[in-house]
Amino acid sequence: MVSDFFFPNFGGVESHIYYLSQCLLKLGHKVVVMTHAYGNRSGVRYVTNGLKVYYVPWRPFLMQNTLPTLFLTLPIVRTIIIREKISVVHGHQAFSTLCHEALMHARTMGYKVVFTDHSLYGFADAGSIHMNKVLQFTLADIDQAICVSHTSKENTVLRSGIAPEKVFMVPNAVDTAMFTPSPKRLSCDEIVIVVISRLVYRKGADLLVEVIPEVCRLFPKVRFIIGGDGPKRVRLEEMREKFSLQDRVEMLGAVPHAQVRSRLISGHIFLNSSLTEAFCIAILEAASCGLLTVSTRVGGVPEVLPDDMIVLAEPAPEDMVRAVKKAIDMLPGIDPQVMHLRMKKLYSWDDVAKRTEIVYDRAMQSSTTNLLDRLPRYLTCGSWAGRLFCIVMIINYLLWRLLEFLQPAEDIEVVPDIGPLQAQIQRDDLCEAQENQI
Amino acid sequence: MEQPALGISDGIYAYKHLCEGGIDIHEIVVKKSSFRILLYYIGTICLLATVCRTLLSKEGLYLSSLWSISFAGIVAKCLRCDPVKKESLVIMPTFGVQLEQHFWSGRVRRKFVPIGKILKPVLNECVTPVICYWSLALLLRDEYELMLVFMKLRPPAKMLVPIWNALCAFKNSDSTRRLADPHPKDSACSPESKLKT
Repeated sequence: MVSDFFFPNFGGVESHIYYLSQCLLKLGHKVVVMTHAYGNRSGVRYVTNGLKVYYVPWRPFLMQNTLPTLFLTLPIVRTIIIREKISVVHGHQAFSTLCHEALMHARTMGYKVVFTDHSLYGFADAGSIHMNKVLQFTLADIDQAICVSHTSKENTVLRSGIAPEKVFMVPNAVDTAMFTPSPKRLSCDEIVIVVISRLVYRKGADLLVEVIPEVCRLFPKVRFIIGGDGPKRVRLEEMREKFSLQDRVEMLGAVPHAQVRSRLISGHIFLNSSLTEAFCIAILEAASCGLLTVSTRVGGVPEVLPDDMIVLAEPAPEDMVRAVKKAIDMLPGIDPQVMHLRMKKLYSWDDVAKRTEIVYDRAMQSSTTNLLDRLPRYLTCGSWAGRLFCIVMIINYLLWRLLEFLQPAEDIEVVPDIGPLQAQIQRDDLCEAQENQI
Repeated sequence: MEQPALGISDGIYAYKHLCEGGIDIHEIVVKKSSFRILLYYIGTICLLATVCRTLLSKEGLYLSSLWSISFAGIVAKCLRCDPVKKESLVIMPTFGVQLEQHFWSGRVRRKFVPIGKILKPVLNECVTPVICYWSLALLLRDEYELMLVFMKLRPPAKMLVPIWNALCAFKNSDSTRRLADPHPKDSACSPESKLKT
């Protein structure tokens, strides 16, 4: 798994990579994660269940992304792939430069590559245009791609021009063992609405500034708990001061992921005001904790929960207030425990891992092609961009050949396979039991 | 009694294991390579030529000439031969280990680590921006940092594993001896002797 986004950073992509890797380890596969160094966290680390993580000492330069160097990551990517005996390279997130470079190098070396897109992007602004061009380059020669919702699949296909039959839809999931409802049902005398998200424009923090005062005015028994931090926090603080809502709007600041559940179970309703979401794991976590969700109808959000667990609204303050009213009326009929059990059946990371396994099998079955057969695929990316991409791939190929000459693959020592930690412990216990018998 | 040397060899390094009078010696020797010596001379000549051209030209020192000297310097540094001829680990039972660096110039740098200071030898995977390699290090008592056994050379894991095994056996034999005799007589190596003085 390759991405710029992994632990100790917390987020949807990071959780996805972690939980998917754990479940693939349980299925008996070997999984290695490659990401960039985070501060002093550099080198090889082993996380839960013996998941091996390479924190490559490339410093991030912008928004947790490594500096795009095109070819400089080739030696380290090649070394890791050879020494770990990798068969499939799985890149995550279109915004990750390390992912794009690793997929390019893996493809040059003839490995199978899979890409998962976790976000929705636009088409009009300069950033999106450039991002989409990079995505076109990466997906021009991909074996298979995965998207986390049907909306995301449509978006990715339109942005990159990849054939839709190469794109699979495998949704995210939630760790229902971690996100459980409160054993004691909350009283409905006071309704608590919980908001936990990064307080940025994309997550609809400006909408909250409009919605919260109106809801507080219409419903005297409603209280808000807002967890998260970001540049829009100042606006929310100002709103609190302006409408004198200090006793009705509690600002928690940044909430560590381990404390999210304890914050969620203190509320009845979870409010999500995102302006764009490919999937939204946060509402899964809230539903798993037994909260009724009110969310904007954007992106892949309508696909996530059944209609009786979520109230959708357009991303406008009036509609959001109407949705909150509807959710408050629905509250007496909501049983958190029943909701939690339903979520357990609907979403599980084991299911995600099995579906991803099918994608890997399909990728392994795709035919191996040489450079000359692959170059025409890049020409479809544009009249000038296509030629540029072909030149980049040719240079990458030549550099790979030079590396093969200077340091042949046979000289790179393969790392011994120790297997998942649980299997190792069971083996040690078995040996001890046999020795005791003797 | 001296036992015949055992060895493993690859393109760059050769590993030799000697036993002399109860002392275990593990050596990693850099093989002489005429190709690398040639590259070293080419790098040096390029650097000298760049400097001479800059000094002798009528234009004097400009930014471009500084850049070319810096670039030539970097190339010369990359192509230069390692001054280290061999690194060795000498295991002295009940005393400790000695880490030695032998240079091509004849100079030898030695460092002794008493047995009481060693907690455990470890094989580490190291990651740099361009390569991964194995290293053998010692986990030391009361020290925050690991001590590398081979500081300059990067031998492959197949050479490090027998050395690591030897260090583990050395450490285990010391632990067994301590268990058998929990109150040993004062020695220069034991921590208790430092407290008493």
